Amino acid sequence: MKEITAIIRRDKLPETKKALEDLGYPSLSIQSVDGRGKQRGAVCDYDLDPELPDSFCTPVRLKPTPSAYALEHTLPKVALFVPKRMLTMVVPDDLVTTLVKAIIKVNKTGKTGDGKIFVSPIESAVRVRTGEKDGEAIS
Amino acid sequence: MKMVRAFIRPEKEQEVVLALEGAGFPSLTKMPVFGRGKQKGLQVGPVHYDELPKMLVMMVVNDGDVEKVVNLIHEKAKTGFVGDGKIFISPVENAYTVRTGEAGL
Repeated sequence: MKEITAIIRRDKLPETKKALEDLGYPSLSIQSVDGRGKQRGAVCDYDLDPELPDSFCTPVRLKPTPSAYALEHTLPKVALFVPKRMLTMVVPDDLVTTLVKAIIKVNKTGKTGDGKIFVSPIESAVRVRTGEKDGEAIS
Repeated sequence: MKMVRAFIRPEKEQEVVLALEGAGFPSLTKMPVFGRGKQKGLQVGPVHYDELPKMLVMMVVNDGDVEKVVNLIHEKAKTGFVGDGKIFISPVENAYTVRTGEAGL
């Protein structure tokens, strides 16, 4: 068994669910999370100041536009986060590649902020209603 | 790759995030959670708080960076009183970037 954790855009959630349903694997948990990647939470189309080094956080590196100025002055040490949806699903080993490909296909827009998918091992599973273990519990 | 999940005090979150960013680990996911530890919550006079608010900070890092990240979180989130939180580390086999479809962090 593997656990697939996908952190995706909020507005792609219905399409992703539809795609997974079409593959015959509709079971999943959804959670609302805040996150950021190596862009340090840059979601806007502002230009970054090329003279400042990468180690500065994004709001500081924004070229001074009115909103960037406001951001910088009201929240001097802001750590920007982007709202995302996190999907968690536990699936049999042989389905992992198919599902990951399906999720990537639906969520790909080519712009930063599309998200990440993590695959990690799960040792055991139990269905609460019947007490079934492992393979039967997730089928 | 390893997934580091740290349950920390909500008020320490920004400090931890900035420290991690300064050390070169800007990517993380956070979510507010409620939980309790072996103290079974918190007793303030007659009032018992069963579930306390915490912030769950989740990040996936390369194996070699785990110790550094854990030490940083530990150092920044520590107050010395009960309720500082816990850090869990679990294996991750694969990571994919959705934008490119590539494997790896």
